[in-house]
Amino acid sequence: MDKVDASAHYQGVTEDKPSLLVVVLDTNPFAWQSLHSELPLQTALSHILLFLNAHLSFSHANRVAVIASHTKSATFLYPNSAAAAETAETSVDLYRDANKYRLFASIERQVQSSMQRLLSSTAPESLAGTNETTMAGALSLALAYINRVCNADNLSDSGEGSGGGARPGEARADTASMTARILVVSVSGDLANQYVSVMNSIFAAQRQRVPIDICKIAGDTVFLQQASDSTNGIYMQLQHPSALLQYLLSCFMSDPSTRHHLIPPSQINVDFRAACFCHKRVVDIGFVCSICLSIFCSPPPGAICTTCNTKLDVSALGNYGGKPAVVLMKKKKIKKAKKVLNDSAADSSTPGTPVA
Amino acid sequence: MADSDSDYIASSGDEAPKSKSNKTGKRGKRAGREKPRERWEEIQRAWDLGLEDDNIESTISELLEAGKKRRLLKDETPLQRGIIRHLVLILDLSVAMAEKDLRPTRYLLSLRYACDFVREFFEQNPISQMAVVGMRDGIAIRISDMGGNPQTHVDAIQKLRLDDPDGSPSLQNALEMARGALFHTPSHGTREVVIIYGALWSADPGDIHTTIRSLVADKIRVAVVGLAAQVSICKELVRITNAGDTSSYTVALNEVHFREKLLEATTPPVTRTQKMSANGLLMMGFPSRIVERTASLCACHSQMNKGGYLCSRCGTKVCQLPCECPACGLTLILSTHLARSYHHLFPLKNWLEVSWTEARRSTHCFSCQSAFPPPPAAALKDTPDAERQPAKTGSSTSISSRYKCPDCGMHFCVDCDVFCHEILYNCPGCQSLGDEKPARTTRGKKRARELSEGGAGAPPPPPPPAPPEPEPMVID
Ligand SMILES: [Zn+2]
Ligand SMILES: [Zn+2]
Ligand SMILES: [Zn+2]
Ligand SMILES: [Zn+2]
Ligand SMILES: [Zn+2]
Ligand SMILES: [Zn+2]
Repeated sequence: MDKVDASAHYQGVTEDKPSLLVVVLDTNPFAWQSLHSELPLQTALSHILLFLNAHLSFSHANRVAVIASHTKSATFLYPNSAAAAETAETSVDLYRDANKYRLFASIERQVQSSMQRLLSSTAPESLAGTNETTMAGALSLALAYINRVCNADNLSDSGEGSGGGARPGEARADTASMTARILVVSVSGDLANQYVSVMNSIFAAQRQRVPIDICKIAGDTVFLQQASDSTNGIYMQLQHPSALLQYLLSCFMSDPSTRHHLIPPSQINVDFRAACFCHKRVVDIGFVCSICLSIFCSPPPGAICTTCNTKLDVSALGNYGGKPAVVLMKKKKIKKAKKVLNDSAADSSTPGTPVA
Repeated sequence: MADSDSDYIASSGDEAPKSKSNKTGKRGKRAGREKPRERWEEIQRAWDLGLEDDNIESTISELLEAGKKRRLLKDETPLQRGIIRHLVLILDLSVAMAEKDLRPTRYLLSLRYACDFVREFFEQNPISQMAVVGMRDGIAIRISDMGGNPQTHVDAIQKLRLDDPDGSPSLQNALEMARGALFHTPSHGTREVVIIYGALWSADPGDIHTTIRSLVADKIRVAVVGLAAQVSICKELVRITNAGDTSSYTVALNEVHFREKLLEATTPPVTRTQKMSANGLLMMGFPSRIVERTASLCACHSQMNKGGYLCSRCGTKVCQLPCECPACGLTLILSTHLARSYHHLFPLKNWLEVSWTEARRSTHCFSCQSAFPPPPAAALKDTPDAERQPAKTGSSTSISSRYKCPDCGMHFCVDCDVFCHEILYNCPGCQSLGDEKPARTTRGKKRARELSEGGAGAPPPPPPPAPPEPEPMVID
């Protein structure tokens, strides 16, 4: 009775796959400037570096990458071939510091130096009044990198076996050598200009089963909500930006295989609005070409779709700006309904709601 | 017909190993476009490839690269994607599927083709929905629910691979379950059932003719792909539900024919009622999802639930998309379903090979940071490309293992090339090097920009596109 068979607990331990974490850091200078009192960029960067170190500490096979999504460009901060060459020249220092794990030091050094280079190469005049960030580019880079690291090894052998027109990178998700995820640290908004490319990246992530986690420090972005929702990622709007590290460690630490056992925070309400193709405006009601599914915020001039050049039949639009269809009451209910209407004619609710 | 007949004899005649039969599916699609080649012509022999002893390693890596690079030609015919279809795919999981006349087995082959079917279906009908039902042990089993995400269906079908086919199929039970799944779907879409049927019998609890009659009453049309031989009740089923037309009942002759016939069902059916105009402009709402603290009734089914979508025009709550707003009649869809097809609108250009002379510019792949082979010493001196000039099209491999995007001029490796053209549909270079590149400005977009400059609330005209710079760090 007292005997507890503990052996079963240890037999079930499976070998965990190593995990790749790609951090996409939004480096829009304006947004960081407005956050400066709460969370300076330098502090945020050191928090993120600590987070990366924590991820690497889980397993020696874990890997990280850092991508900066700047105002007009997206670039790798780590691994960065130029920065790596630079650090290699001065690598004596790395061995000096006996209190620091060497990988941590080299990542920190590369991220810091390529960040410095990125910011110093940004001309002030090129920033005039822009609050956008090349998120589509950063996500594309991240996905291509993930594809390379996780799938490139077994691309050659399983390519033939899957056959039958299967595309690379799908049936293979189970056999991939690593699991991967993307963490977007976002501070600015407005991705409407890159709607199509951002959505393409989201679908690619969905197919590769790469969750996109969103750590939203400031700003408001419709499409990042959709990104985390359709890839089963975590969405977190920070209440206290100064506690970034704590948010990162407590919400974004778990890797995709661990998340099956947890209830990760995700957003409850998802904004599913789209951007129109004509003015890049975010709309919730749009006109859709039935041939190519382009979205317009108003019927295109001359009723010709500007994307596929088809002459559109606007008459099918029917009741543009139409009125709600009022369902007629059945005859025997009229008495009752009338009474209610008289009582509260002003606050009558949705037309057609059965009164009971 | 004659073509596939001869194919059939060829495949049954020779004792082809398993791996070879796997390839036939891939080849078959291309063979339709090129001139028909006999099977023995396709065998690649080592001595044809000019293997030399000294550089076997590089030749092998080139072969690997060529294999990765091979990709299907995409046809660019405008499809009408704005049709909302509702389809139930019924899979036979009975003991009849254990037969090995289709290799490896009917079961595994039909599961694989079912996955292809799901992907192709959502490619062609991005705002449609489907469900998957299985027939096993005399009952119908639900494999995946009605939904618009291809990945969930594919995952559910993949899970079946671990099981073995067993028991008898029941056509009636499966059709009744499909009818139940299609019951709630709105009337403006189509209702279809596609059956993969391997058995020659059906174990039904009642009169299947009553079920067929109720299918007709519910305006559900059925297509069947048989794997063994023609079955009278299937033909009857197809004839009655398709208004006398039996063309959507076929029996697969071989693997390739099976796949063709199954994927035929992904193209939208001809509407018998001509109500839906071919090229219309549809007004659609993109509602956002909400979660409520307390449950409330949805307008579509009058059921209590905590959350759903609010109509973007009148605020009525509906519980699932796509649907027509019960109050104002606006078509409500998930915008992500529309966006799934946008890569067809702005296709990515094919990337070009890079000669050794130009290759010196880059040492790493722009998108995945993997190192390129350094240019050989000979390449630095003169023009060595003359002897091994690659073919002109993008289908051949690049001698320097680099591929260049014609718009941004960045160099990529072959893995990224394949990944970007087949999964991502973005050029990481064009997306990363500034917002207004000529890359994605198709004719339509350009015109849209002209319009927007004239528009009232339009954003300021974008700065002139930056010239393609070799270094990603250079801005402006
Ligand atoms: Zn517009
Ligand atoms: Zn169009
Ligand atoms: Zn409902
Ligand atoms: Zn409405
Ligand atoms: Zn690459
Ligand atoms: Zn490009």
